[in-house]
This record gives sequence, structure tokens and C-alpha cells, in this order.
Amino acid sequence: MESFKDKLESLFNQYGVLKTFSRGDYLTREGETETSLYYIESGAVRAFYLSEHEESVIRLGYKGSIITSLSSFLTGRPSDLYIEAIRKTSTRILSKSALRELVNQDIDTLRQYTTLLEQTLIQQMDREIDLITPSPAERLERVLNRSPHLFQEIPLKYIASYLRMTPETLSRIRNS
Amino acid sequence: MQIASQTLIKELTSLTEHCTAIVAELHQRPESQLRRRPTPEAWNALECLEHLNRYGDYYLPAIEKAIIARPRLQAPPPFRSGWLGNYFANLMRVKETKVKKMKSPADKNPFGADVNVLAIDRFLKQQERLLVLLGDAANVDLVKARVAISIAPWIRIRLGDTLRFFVYHIERHVLQAKKAAESRDEG
Repeated sequence: MESFKDKLESLFNQYGVLKTFSRGDYLTREGETETSLYYIESGAVRAFYLSEHEESVIRLGYKGSIITSLSSFLTGRPSDLYIEAIRKTSTRILSKSALRELVNQDIDTLRQYTTLLEQTLIQQMDREIDLITPSPAERLERVLNRSPHLFQEIPLKYIASYLRMTPETLSRIRNS
Repeated sequence: MQIASQTLIKELTSLTEHCTAIVAELHQRPESQLRRRPTPEAWNALECLEHLNRYGDYYLPAIEKAIIARPRLQAPPPFRSGWLGNYFANLMRVKETKVKKMKSPADKNPFGADVNVLAIDRFLKQQERLLVLLGDAANVDLVKARVAISIAPWIRIRLGDTLRFFVYHIERHVLQAKKAAESRDEG
């Protein structure tokens, strides 16, 4: 029996449009309206918020991840986020309209979409707790429990930003 | 110099908007132009803006702090320059004839730091914040409010002079950025 993850992957394989990005390409920029849901087949991306003073990574994605500028995707408002390919990345894209059609025509797809949303909500709650966890080592542990292969996929400086610490602190914690 | 608070804020706001417009236009140009160097050791446009961003990282919060620390006034007194603040402000001013060359402190020198194109987005956000702060500054005493300077925290200059210095510094490097983008690439 197909797992939820496999089902989702076949949905993207069947209906998704293939698009490749070079390192440094933006999937989405702040101000643009997001109409794509990306399934990452290979490569890695970071979603970040740019303030006056820094780029803050709020989401990392690599093989098997589904990523989008979620608020913009759901509301149609301009994106607050940038999504950048941090190396050559191959994606399958479901457009908002294609997704809507799929979800409306088939109850199984609707169930998958609902499960995906539920999982995303849970991830959001976990992340909220990450951010208020005082110990840097504990923040790292929480994230590694969710994504054991993170350091193989993503450069240290982006993981550090995601974890709200300097790259130096992150190195120190890993080495101790 | 002595000037009505409101007049000073108006002038600085106008100059800030002017600089924003220049950079907004640069933002439309191809990235290759933003990486042109007039000479091999000169900054490209992105580096000029990143330099400004680094000053903004220090001064925007410091200015905000100085404003918050002071009471709100309906009609603030006229602004009078302090001698040191006036010196810094005039140092930064772009004069008609030539622009004085100056060395930057090491941590504010972005040369070779591989500045990416987001430096422009970041600069434009800083400009928006600056406009808000200028608006807030219109209701405080620009003499009594003081800001510690980045190179020497024991030296605090009047907010009015800090704003002058900060805005003139921006003008200086924005013009430099535009020139670099329009130069022939020698770097």
C-alpha cells in the first residue's frame, strides 16, 4: 500500500511540470504572487525573509520536500519570502489551478491535500517551539530529529540561520 | 548652523526620497551593470550599497533608540549643530566640484566580499525605515537627543547632526553607485 509520501510524489510526477533551477536562481521573490507548489526531486533550496538587517532562513528544502511561499500561495497576496536554489535544483511544479482541479475532482486527492496541510501545521507548531527554545544545542537536536540528513544536504551557514545562531556557535556545538 | 527642526527634517526626507528613486531605477538594470568597476580597486554599485547597508545596520537602531529616549514635543526647538557633528556632516556632503576620497573602516568595506544583488533590496528596506525615523524625529529635540557614533561609542553627537551625516553619507555613495553602474568596466 502506497504511503502518503509516495502518493504525493506520484501526483507530482503525473501532473507536475518539470523545471530546473541553477544555483542562485530564485523560485520566488518577495512581492511576487506565488502560484506554484514545488516538489524537489534533487538539489536544495532555502526560503528566507529579508529584513533591513539580515536574511533569515525560515525553511529549508531538499530531495523529497514540498515547498512554496505558503501565505502567498493560499491568499494570493504578494510573497513576503524569497525562495532561492542553493545548488542546482530540479523540481516538479503543480500550479495553483492544477491543484484546485485535482483536489476538486477526486476525493482521494482531497484527502492527500488535507493530510499535507495537517502535516504542515504540525511542522509550524514544532518550528514555533524551536524558536523559543533557549538552548542552541537543544534547537539543533530538535531539528536533527526531524531531518537527520540536514548537514549532508545544506551548507552550514543556512542551517545556522535557520537555527537562529551564528555559524561559529553551530560549529562549536557540533564539535563538542 | 541653526535651522527650524521641521525644515531640516523636510530637507533630509526629500534627499532620502531622491536617493531611493535613483536606487530603484538601478534595481531595474541588468546585474552585469551593477557589478561594473570603474577601476580594478573601485567598488561596484552593489558594494556601494552594501557599504551603506552596514552603516544602516548600526545607525538605524541607534537613531530609533535615541528618538524613543526623548519626550514627544509638539513644537521642538530649532536645531543648532554641534561642532563635531557639523564636522562629520560636512565631511560627507557631496560638493559641486570634487568628492573627497576617504578610507572606510575595515568592517564597513565590502570590497571582495561577494555582495549579492539582494543588497539593493536590503538598501531599499533601510530607506523605508529611515523615512519612518525621520518622521518620528520631527517631534523630538534634535539637540538633546544624542547618538553614539559607530567608531567611538563614548562620542555622542546630536541627533540632528547624526541624521545629516547619515543622509549625506547615503547620497555620496548612491551617486558613486550610479556612476559605477554607468562606467566602463575596468575591473
